[in-house]
Amino acid sequence: MKLLRLLAAGFSMSLRRSVAFRVNLVFDVLLAFTGLGTAIAAVLIVFTRADTLAGWSKAEFLVLIGTYQLITGLRTTFIDPNLSWFPETGIREGKLDGYLLQPAPSLFLSSLSLSSPLQLIQVVLGVGVLAWGIGVADRSPGAAGVMSWLVLVMAGTVVTWALSVLLACLAFWAPKLQLDVFYHSAWQLGRYPTDVFARPLRILLTYVFPMALIASVPSTALLRGPQLGVLLAAVGAAAGAAALAALAWRAGLRRYTGATS
Amino acid sequence: MRTAVLLGFRLRQEVLEWSGAWWFLLTLVVQAVVAPLIGLFVWSAVYPDDPAIARYYVAVILVTLMTESFEQHTFSERIYNGTLSHELLRPQPVVVGVIGMNLAIRAWLTLLGAPIVLLTGIALQVGFDWWAVVRSTPYLVLAAVLVFLWTFLLSLTAFWTDRVHAVVGFGSQLVFLFGGTAAPIGLLPDGLRRVAEVLPFYGMSGLPAEIAAGTRGGGLLVYQLMWIVGLVGVVMVLWRVGIRRYTAVGS
Repeated sequence: MKLLRLLAAGFSMSLRRSVAFRVNLVFDVLLAFTGLGTAIAAVLIVFTRADTLAGWSKAEFLVLIGTYQLITGLRTTFIDPNLSWFPETGIREGKLDGYLLQPAPSLFLSSLSLSSPLQLIQVVLGVGVLAWGIGVADRSPGAAGVMSWLVLVMAGTVVTWALSVLLACLAFWAPKLQLDVFYHSAWQLGRYPTDVFARPLRILLTYVFPMALIASVPSTALLRGPQLGVLLAAVGAAAGAAALAALAWRAGLRRYTGATS
Repeated sequence: MRTAVLLGFRLRQEVLEWSGAWWFLLTLVVQAVVAPLIGLFVWSAVYPDDPAIARYYVAVILVTLMTESFEQHTFSERIYNGTLSHELLRPQPVVVGVIGMNLAIRAWLTLLGAPIVLLTGIALQVGFDWWAVVRSTPYLVLAAVLVFLWTFLLSLTAFWTDRVHAVVGFGSQLVFLFGGTAAPIGLLPDGLRRVAEVLPFYGMSGLPAEIAAGTRGGGLLVYQLMWIVGLVGVVMVLWRVGIRRYTAVGS
C-alpha cells in the first residue's frame, strides 16, 4: 500500500513536470500516432496480398497490435524512465547511491519511482486499435476470453518489468555493458505473432526472451478462447521472472560498492 | 583536396575511437537488422516459394547496415550540450566531423553485420548474380548519401526543438514504410506504390536492394541525384538559419 502511494506520488510529480512543456506533448502525441499508423499500415499492406498470415486474420493482427501497443505504452510510461541506460545513469553517474539512502526499497525506487505520463497516449491508442480489431473480428470475445486476456496482459507487464530489471542488474557485474538498444530492437519482434518467425527464433521468443507473452499469447486468448495451461504457465512465468529479478537485484547490490568508490 | 584530407584524418580518428565500443556497435547492428528481418519473415510467409523475397531482404539488410545514420545522436547532442562550439572554432567545416563519424560508424556496422548477412544468406540458400551486385554499387553510394542528408536535415531541427529524436523517429518511419523495408515497393497497393516511387525513401533502401537482388535492371540514378541536389539545398538553408539561432552554453 505504501509503495502504491509512492507510485502515485511519483506519477503526480512527473505529470506536473511534463505538462510544463506543452510542445513536447504535441511531439509525443504525433509520434505515437505515426508510429502506430506505420505499424498498422505495414500489416494492412500484407493483407492486400493475403487473407491470413501464419494463420492469423486481419482482425487478430489488429488485436495483437493493440495489445502490443498497450504494454509498450505501460513500459515507456512506468519502466523506461527509470531503467533505460541504467548502467550509465544508475551506476556510473551514481543515481543508485541516492536511492539506497532513501527509506523505501531500492528496487522499487530504481525501477518505478519516475514516469513519463505523456507516453500514456500509447496506451489509449492501443486500446483504440484493440477495439477496432474486436469490432471487425468474426466473433466477439467471450467473458472468459476477456478475463484471461486481462490476466495475461498483467503477466506480460510483470515479465516486461522483470526483464528490464534483469538487464539493469547486468550493470552490477559489467557496468560498461549497454544493452538498451538491443532490448528495444528485440522488443519490435513482439509486434508480430511468433508463428510468423522461423522455428529457432520462435523458441527463443517463447522461452528465452518471452516476447510471445507480451502480445501473441494474450491476443490468442482473447479471440480464440482461454487455455488453462497457458494461463497457469503465464502466471508462473510472471511470478518466476519477478522473483528472479528481485534475487538478481539483491545479489547485484551485495556486489555494488558505490559510484565513486 | 584539403577537405578530403581532413575527412580522411577524421575518419581514421573516429574508426579508432569507435573500435573501443564494439559491444555497443553490435547492439546497433541488431537494431539495424531487426526491421528488414521482420519483413523477410512476413513476406516469406506470404510467398513461401519465391526465392526473390529472401534475396531482396538479405540485400535490404546489407544496404541498411551500410547506410545507417545517427546524426540525431552524434550531431544534435552537440547542439544540446553546447560542444558544437568546439567544432565551430576548428578551421574546417563542421560537416567534416559529422561525415567522418558517420562513415566510421557505417564501416564498423558493415564489418560487424557482415557475418549476420552471410549466415542469413546461407540459411535461406540465397544466391546472388554478382554482376547485379556490382551494378548496384553506384545506387548504394547514392543511397548512403541520401540517408545521411535526410537524417542530418532532420537532426538540424535540434536548433529549434529538444525533441529531435521524435523528429528523426518520424523520418525513420517514412523510410520504413515507403523505402521498401515494410514491403518491397512492387507489392504495395497501386496508389501507395506511385507515391513511394516519387518520394526519396525508395532511393535510400529499396532501389539499391532491388538492383542487387536482380529484380530491377537499373536506370533511376537521375531520380536519386535529383533528390540529393534538393536535400543538399534544404540542408544548406537550414544550417545557415539554424547556426544564426545557435547560442553557446554560457554566453
